Amino acid sequence: MSDIRLSLLRRDALSAAKEVLYHLDIFFSSQLQSVPLPIVDKGPVELLEEFVFQVPKERGSPAKRLNSLQELQLLEIMCNYFQEQSKDSVRQIIFSSLFSPQGNKADDCRMTLLGKLVSMAVAVCRVPVLECAASWLQRTPTVYCVRLAQALVDDYCSLVPGSIQTLKQIFSASPRFCCQFITSVTMLYDMSSDDLIPPPDLLEMVVSWIFEDPRLILITFLNTPIAASLPIGFLELTPLSGLIRWCVKAPLAYKRKKPALANGHPNGKLAKSSAPASDQDCQPLYSKLHLSVLQVLMLLQGHLTEKNLYGRLGLVPFDHVVSLVDEISRLSDELNPLNASQEVELALDRLAQALQVAMAAGTFLCTREDLRTVCSRLPHNNLLQLVISGPVQQPAHAALPPGFYSPIHTPPLGYPTHAAHPAIPAHPALPAHPVQTFIPGMAFPYRPIH
Amino acid sequence: MSAQGDCEFLVRRARELVGQDLWAAKAWLITARSLYPADFNIQYEMYSLERNAERTSSAGRLLYDIFVNFPEQPVVWREISVITSALRNDSQDKQTQFLRGLFETLPGRIQCEMLLKATEQCFNTLERAEMLLLLLRRFPESVAQHGVGLGESLLEAENIEDQESPVNCYRKLFVCDVLPLIINNLDVRLPAALLYKYLNKAAEFYINYVTRSTQVESQYQGAQDTPALLSPSKRSSQRYIIEGLTEKSSHIADPWERVFKILSVVGVRCEWQVDTSRRSFGDILLKMKDVCRYIGNYDNEAHTKYKTQVIYSTMLVFFKNAFQYVSSIQPSLFQGPNAANQIPLVLLENVSNVYGDTDTDRSKHVHKKRKLAEGREKTMSSDDEDPSGKGRSRLITIHAADLLNSVEVLESFRLARESWELLHSLDSLDKEFTRICVSWKTDTWLWLRIFLTDMIIYQGQYKKAIASLHHLAALQGSHSQQQIPGQGSLENQRALIQLAACHFALGEYRFACEKVLDLMCYMVLPIQEGTKLQEEQPKLKSKFRKVSELKLWPCTSTAVMPYCLRLLLACFKLRAFTDNRDDMALGHVIVLLQHEWPRGENLFLKAINKICQQGNFQYENFFNYVTNIDMLEEFAYLRTQEGGKIHLELLPNQGMLIKTSSPPLGFLQQEFIPVPQPSIQTADRHHTVTRGITKGVKEDFRLAMERQVSRCGESLMMVLHRFCINEKILLLQTLA
Repeated sequence: MSDIRLSLLRRDALSAAKEVLYHLDIFFSSQLQSVPLPIVDKGPVELLEEFVFQVPKERGSPAKRLNSLQELQLLEIMCNYFQEQSKDSVRQIIFSSLFSPQGNKADDCRMTLLGKLVSMAVAVCRVPVLECAASWLQRTPTVYCVRLAQALVDDYCSLVPGSIQTLKQIFSASPRFCCQFITSVTMLYDMSSDDLIPPPDLLEMVVSWIFEDPRLILITFLNTPIAASLPIGFLELTPLSGLIRWCVKAPLAYKRKKPALANGHPNGKLAKSSAPASDQDCQPLYSKLHLSVLQVLMLLQGHLTEKNLYGRLGLVPFDHVVSLVDEISRLSDELNPLNASQEVELALDRLAQALQVAMAAGTFLCTREDLRTVCSRLPHNNLLQLVISGPVQQPAHAALPPGFYSPIHTPPLGYPTHAAHPAIPAHPALPAHPVQTFIPGMAFPYRPIH
Repeated sequence: MSAQGDCEFLVRRARELVGQDLWAAKAWLITARSLYPADFNIQYEMYSLERNAERTSSAGRLLYDIFVNFPEQPVVWREISVITSALRNDSQDKQTQFLRGLFETLPGRIQCEMLLKATEQCFNTLERAEMLLLLLRRFPESVAQHGVGLGESLLEAENIEDQESPVNCYRKLFVCDVLPLIINNLDVRLPAALLYKYLNKAAEFYINYVTRSTQVESQYQGAQDTPALLSPSKRSSQRYIIEGLTEKSSHIADPWERVFKILSVVGVRCEWQVDTSRRSFGDILLKMKDVCRYIGNYDNEAHTKYKTQVIYSTMLVFFKNAFQYVSSIQPSLFQGPNAANQIPLVLLENVSNVYGDTDTDRSKHVHKKRKLAEGREKTMSSDDEDPSGKGRSRLITIHAADLLNSVEVLESFRLARESWELLHSLDSLDKEFTRICVSWKTDTWLWLRIFLTDMIIYQGQYKKAIASLHHLAALQGSHSQQQIPGQGSLENQRALIQLAACHFALGEYRFACEKVLDLMCYMVLPIQEGTKLQEEQPKLKSKFRKVSELKLWPCTSTAVMPYCLRLLLACFKLRAFTDNRDDMALGHVIVLLQHEWPRGENLFLKAINKICQQGNFQYENFFNYVTNIDMLEEFAYLRTQEGGKIHLELLPNQGMLIKTSSPPLGFLQQEFIPVPQPSIQTADRHHTVTRGITKGVKEDFRLAMERQVSRCGESLMMVLHRFCINEKILLLQTLA
């Protein structure tokens, strides 16, 4: 590594960046031939920090800074590299070495450059970069994911009016990225404040994606080996709980939103071209989204059953529900109940529907007793009451396993897994095929490198 | 809350929301279903929502669920019957198309079950059959189980319902829809006898379908909307509906092709000798002749097999070609009133040599001439010959302008004749073919009778032909009754025209004359004179002895009237030029010779010669019907000194002055025909007697001559037509 470093030092910034990628490509390619899962140790990461992110190795030496043009050229070099490297495993490991947060001062620079790289990849539709980014979103702590999401939202929802269309088209290029992106933005915009209500353009895009193909939501889940316990601090396998939060909180969050801000959204004027004109126009989108979520939950039931995970994998985690219920009860307290009875009613209806369908789908793991306790603080709602009490028992229908809806034609194939984008851990370390088998106790293989 | 109450609450909420927020309504229903998966109303509500919005795939998915989970719900049944009837329906409206699309989204297994269950619910044979057909078409594997049963039930229904015509809805479904499925499905093995029965049914159906008479169509049109009759564009569209079926289902494209296809498939399945598919009719016929040659050599089983092959193959070639021929010569039979642009044709003996002065050529002796005439009678008819009439090939001519595809038509005529001969060449074939014909009631097929008659005429068996023509006339009578009155009257008189020609050929001149005179009532006048018979005096006649003996004449007044006049002339010619004096016949000949003048000039001169020899001539109709200036001049000349001072009695009643024993009167008295006899009318007689004495006769003649000259411009056809109509009795008496 050190001789490489010496040779690189003699070069100018851009050619050094190009060269370091070239050297590491050779290095990892040869490693991958002997070791299925090479350890990315300090050496390569440091080289990258020094020659790509321009972080000086020696303390005190002045930070080199690239000008805008150079930065653009650097991005192009990286884009081209990922485009040209045909081996997914090599791409993944280089991407990971480049952009996995290291907990050091280079991380800011790393994240900024990542935001720009992905943004560029969206603009020029570089599928390999998007695929790598999708994997990155899966194995990077949520806080960083949210930063990437923010960067893209800034670029495509705020900066240039109408540019959302470019982002929208990614749907067909990299559904996997879209899925992860949705999960990130639901984490980013949690409606806890007026600023954290998703911009109308973004909302519209997400809804149109999901409505076009609800299976989009499940693509990461379907292409990932399932660990029994989901790692904490990372994005969830599906955006389901985030989307449920959106739908349930939306009536209240928009109600709470200060009227002055309703039209004076910081970017409202810029993004008006294709955006819904007002908050009023967003409401049908939430209704549509909510229906899609319920439909996906029903789809999910089949997949869970198939994978023998029915009732064993809480894709709608209990603690999320608990905090959602908390937020709702706080919000409804906050709002004048007389003023907002309709909104409260709608929010609770949606909550009740989502909980019921998720329970029936076997992915919200909770007894009705516990649910009663969780929801005890909420205002009264007929449907919620009905869901908490559960159906009045009656002789079960013989032909019908409770709540089970089999596919009518062929068994579902999940989202089409195309060879170009193999399942995430297309890592040689893992058996290539039984990707979807449930291996209890086995930890998620891709850990971020600390 | 009860489960029932919960469900009602949930469905009600959903319904309330449908108008304002459809997504929310659906979300409610999804939740409701997940709470109460066994509740029918919730799922039906979901289905209705999608169905009313015509969202095919989601509605299909929900229909699947309710069909599988709630098969006993009457609402489901109603829905299935609505959908399956949309499948049977031709209609292209949006709703029907949606329902069809909805059905298509279901998995095959469910489609199959649905159709079977819907079939169980049908009590009407036709509906049941259509439903099963849907099943069989979609699921070929079900053909083995249900195909033959369905076929038999259709044939049974046809019997029970006592269908008059083989072209009925049951037979149509059987022949066109079920049969191809059965015989083309290799899993279905049927005994040969059954296949033959089916082939028979199919052949009968298709032949009757193709040759269905047109009045059914016009009736239908009339019943549906009268204004349609007024618009020619609508009338020309060929609409035909088999009762019980839709218009689309009633229309069968390429029926002949289909029946020959069935023949070929049955042939393959029964292991016949040669595959008849993709062969020309002539080729098939040749092959069948081959098979026939060795048919006696086979044992029983093979004999039956090949006999059946010969019969059905030849029979279909026969009917197809006979049909082709008849549809070309009388298109209106099959195409209805809009066949006007095609001229109907009629097969007749050629009589173009009528103006020939044949008698003088042949002999000068009267008795010898007689003998020749008798001899001719014999030779012209081949009634006593072997009916197969082998080796007798006669030339038929058609004027190219009358029939564009004359070569094909004559080829069809030949193939049909030869097929017919083959079918009668062996006793066993003859028997079987006759049996089939009897069961199909081919006797009542007017079009076939037309062909058979022409075939017999072609064979020169005039006596038989006359019998056949009487049969034809009877059929035509019953046929034309149903037809729109006043339409194409002459083409419906083909029997009469051909009868006249046949009687003439047999030497039965009086009958021939009678038919010709009957025909005159159907002529549509005026006929333009200049229109000559298109046949020409062939310049090559002398070189080639063989003149066309038969000709397909346009069946129009313009063509038939001249033909009739020639026939009349031919009838009277023989009698007029015997040594026995017959002024009446001679007079008629002179009147008739005006036609196509001067082609008959030689004959006219011969007549004048005869009159000169006689020294006098009596023909009281002369001035009524002779307007030809040449003739008038000749007669005027005859009276002069130079002309021989012939005593002419050409004015009405003038003859009373001469001897009472003049032959025409003698005949009259013999015949007891109730015609007012001048001799009985005493008052008249007195008058004529006095007039004769007053020497006014000469003056009368002169005046009459002058008047005739002024009539020269009159249409000769009108005059001759009047002659035939007014003098009918006289003309017939002359030939008695």
